[in-house]
Amino acid sequence: MTLPETISGLLGIEGLAGTIIGSFLGAALVGTIMLANAALAGPWAKRKITAAFTDRISVNKFGPGGIGIIIPDSVRLLSKELIVPEGVDRPAWDIAPIVMVFSALLGFAVIPMGSGIHLADPSVGLIFAFAAASIASISLVMAGYSSNNKYSFLGGLRAVAQNLAYEIPLILTGLSVVLFAGSLQMGEIVAAQQETLVLGPIGIPAWFGLVNPFAFVLFMIANVAEVGRNPFDIPEAPTEIVAGFQTEYSSVYFVLLYLGEFVHIFFGGALIATIFLGGPAAPIAALSIIPGFVWFLIKIWGVFLFTQWLRSAVPRVRIDQLIEIGWKGMLVLSIANLFLTAIIVGVLPS
Amino acid sequence: MSLQTPSPDLDVGETPEGLDFDALADLLDEHVLEREQHINTEGFVVRPDEVETVLATLKREAGFDHCSCVTAQQYQDRYESIYHLKKYKDPTQELSIVVPTPSDAPLSQSATSVYETTNWHEREAYDLVGIEYDDHSDLRRILLPETWQGHPLGLDYNQKKPQVVPLREHANPVEEKTKVPGESDTMFVNIGPHHPATHGVLHLKTVLDGEQVVDVDPDIGYLHRCEEQMCQQSTYRHQIMPYPDRWDYISAGILNEWAYARTAETMADIEVPEYAQILRTMSAEMCRIAAHLLAIGTFALDIYGDFTAIFMYAITDRERVQNLLEDLTGQRLMFNYLRLGGTAWDLPEPRDQYFEKVREFCSYIPERLEEYHNLLSSNELFQMRVMDTGILPPEEAKNYGCTGPVARGSGVDYDLRRDDPYGYYPELDFDVITDDGCDNFSRALVRLEEMRESAKIIEQCVDALEDYPEDEREIQANVPRTLKPDPDTEIYKAVEAAKGELGIYMRADGTDKPARFKIRSPAFSNLQSLEIMAEGEYVPDMIAALGSLDIVLGEVDR
Amino acid sequence: MIGVLKGMATTMKHALDGETFTVAYPEDEPEVSPRFRGVHKFSQERCIWCRQCENVCPNDTIQIVMDDKRNGEQYNLHIGQCIYCRLCEEVCPVDAIVLTQNFEFVADTKDEFALNMEELKNVPWYNDIDPIQTREPDREAWVGEGEGELDYQ
Repeated sequence: MTLPETISGLLGIEGLAGTIIGSFLGAALVGTIMLANAALAGPWAKRKITAAFTDRISVNKFGPGGIGIIIPDSVRLLSKELIVPEGVDRPAWDIAPIVMVFSALLGFAVIPMGSGIHLADPSVGLIFAFAAASIASISLVMAGYSSNNKYSFLGGLRAVAQNLAYEIPLILTGLSVVLFAGSLQMGEIVAAQQETLVLGPIGIPAWFGLVNPFAFVLFMIANVAEVGRNPFDIPEAPTEIVAGFQTEYSSVYFVLLYLGEFVHIFFGGALIATIFLGGPAAPIAALSIIPGFVWFLIKIWGVFLFTQWLRSAVPRVRIDQLIEIGWKGMLVLSIANLFLTAIIVGVLPS
Repeated sequence: MSLQTPSPDLDVGETPEGLDFDALADLLDEHVLEREQHINTEGFVVRPDEVETVLATLKREAGFDHCSCVTAQQYQDRYESIYHLKKYKDPTQELSIVVPTPSDAPLSQSATSVYETTNWHEREAYDLVGIEYDDHSDLRRILLPETWQGHPLGLDYNQKKPQVVPLREHANPVEEKTKVPGESDTMFVNIGPHHPATHGVLHLKTVLDGEQVVDVDPDIGYLHRCEEQMCQQSTYRHQIMPYPDRWDYISAGILNEWAYARTAETMADIEVPEYAQILRTMSAEMCRIAAHLLAIGTFALDIYGDFTAIFMYAITDRERVQNLLEDLTGQRLMFNYLRLGGTAWDLPEPRDQYFEKVREFCSYIPERLEEYHNLLSSNELFQMRVMDTGILPPEEAKNYGCTGPVARGSGVDYDLRRDDPYGYYPELDFDVITDDGCDNFSRALVRLEEMRESAKIIEQCVDALEDYPEDEREIQANVPRTLKPDPDTEIYKAVEAAKGELGIYMRADGTDKPARFKIRSPAFSNLQSLEIMAEGEYVPDMIAALGSLDIVLGEVDR
Repeated sequence: MIGVLKGMATTMKHALDGETFTVAYPEDEPEVSPRFRGVHKFSQERCIWCRQCENVCPNDTIQIVMDDKRNGEQYNLHIGQCIYCRLCEEVCPVDAIVLTQNFEFVADTKDEFALNMEELKNVPWYNDIDPIQTREPDREAWVGEGEGELDYQ
């Protein structure tokens, strides 16, 4: 049962009205949870994590561990003047940040988050998730192109090149999982990972990340490029092109872009959790008392931590190297992975 | 090293005992109008329309491959440009070429065809003093705005006159380039003066073809603070010393102070006690470590983006050196520690405790270098980014007058601490680090390894200081309260600062203040070579090359 | 890839050891060394109006006005442009100037940092500081110099 159905059932509203109201409330709930995560990550967690890597204290005055900084920070960001530079391409420039956030949030519609939080489970869920995530690159191009700034322009161009180069390996690697699960439906993919693999004396969960670690690593790398974090943060590349596509944005629009990036990282984490880490499942049966949603959150924060870890120690690659890695390395490896998986899946049953 | 075994192919005028100026004068024959005595070397006076011939002959026949500086100045009756020539293989072999030009028509031949480095030096001479150079390809103002009226270091310059510039003069000098020409595929981008990667207020006028750099023209002068003129208005004895700290303000203060101290002490013939020399050497090497740490940190920052771990680790380590320096000198950046004839303070009491702290730091450095190597040089992605980018071949490095880690990263074995010894360096055992990579990577590597050498030097200094007999601990020589060097004594002396050869030219006019004070800043010369490194590379590589040059705009613009 | 992993391990080591290098200023005030050069303390009782500090000052931070009998009338300190070189303390023959260890002071405009003799008595950072108590002035560097040709001008 998906979340909208649960809600309409609880409210006791039947029919179309029930579906619509349930969907609205469910979407609002999921959106709020994800935005809250991003708000926690952006102004506070990122600071604390970076500070830990760099031997600093970071925010510590307001609230336990300085967590209260979220409030003054949001007030500060939202109350800033919205500067609209001369000559920006107005509708596109305004729409870009909104598209950014919504594309990331849209993907969460098909992610099973455990504890019954699952908005929809269409039969092509995985494809929908990839499609929703790639809308973000449109917003980057829009932002870069409409800002009337050369740095933004370069950033936009880089974003397109990067997304083209990494979207294909990402999807191809994701497809190898589909071969295992035999379905594009997210619910099925998660369910296919519920068994336990018995390797001699120890039993490990049959998560696809453990079944096919090669695909997992490929997907992690492609995902980092997809969300534009180190070593692939070249659309922003602060020391080269100032801030890339977001150079000209301020105030609320900047907050949207900034939040959007974090939601994107979490969405990448959600995809990884769902198709490689068993979704909301606990790693061992004994820990199943902890609700699935908590496991889901732990997994996506794990991916977030990983991106921050990369950021602390991995240099940014150059645009030509990025393209080269993407087309000559990742693409070839992901196709190889797909073939191998197909052969294994085809041969194993017989 | 100056006592190399005489090889059969000695340059003209080169003898095992030093330079034979007569032979050099014979080589130049009738070009030499007159011979002047400067304290560091001889000056050959040549005609302004024979500069190119003379310099080309000297470079080709006599091996003067390093034009370290061009000094311009105005006398009552004439203008004068001085080309300070040296040799990369032995910088003690110096020669000054003096080019007088008449007051009413200061036109001199340009040396840019012989030494590429003179390009900017001559532009600066034109900008500040007003000498014009014939055949110079690009004779524009360099430090002052295009609209500036007059030449501030000229004698007839009216400092009181406000620089009121009519509105039309403010026409954007780059406008023409900015306009998009119909057919062109290139894009003009102003990188800086406010940009995360320019390490201050540097403005790079860049033409891009896609992501590739077609042309880069550094525009400097945003941080010009008239340091030369300030020194000309200050007394030798006390007032100049605080200012060198502010040239290369990235912790290299004592190295800069030493440049002034060495020049002024040689000029006034002051003998510095050995104990003070050891103190100077120790504190100067601490400064070098601090400066290199920052260079490494910011270089990593350019490659990694954001204020990430390596930058912060480098800054923390730099803080540790600064604690030591603060205990010794009383400040963390603007040390003002050296005095003419010695230093301001002896070691802080209790001495043992301080020695212990310094030793601890010295043994800590190799440990930390291990970590930097882990984070930087052994990281494959880092290697991928910086190896074979920003290539500066050794011939070009010499042609552009590069010194310091930039030259040593191109395999040019040139270090004034060893080649033109001063202070306590002759007694010390250290290696000069060079690397033949000629790329961004090797420049960073040279800096990392130089820190190890500096730590070695500091340790040796501590050993020497510890055993120093108590009654001979003289930190200050006997120096007259007012220094008035004889009129018309001229001197150019250099030391190895953090970024390379930091030289100072001074001319005395009999008063207690110098009549001309010229700073040869290493970063100024090094920055010129950016065009060689960056053109044809990608934007990120240009940024990396800029980071590996380790410029400090305070020193470039002075 | 080993190098990349080594780099990542290094930063993770730093993250996990929990040590921090920064301090929570202003609660934890970092100690300054005994030689630290902060704001001037000028002692009118000690001053003999020799004007050496004014002469040696590289950028005219100190300005002294005297009457025709060479008695001090004004001692103006433009602390906003001081570069803390300590030359004035070094030349002072009677230890009337000491650069204290205080470095925290603030004003709304640069103008407020131009102080005259009366204001110097009342500025907050001077209260309760006796220049000689704050630090043993180390004047060894100047002892016995110049062989008797001191010119006090």
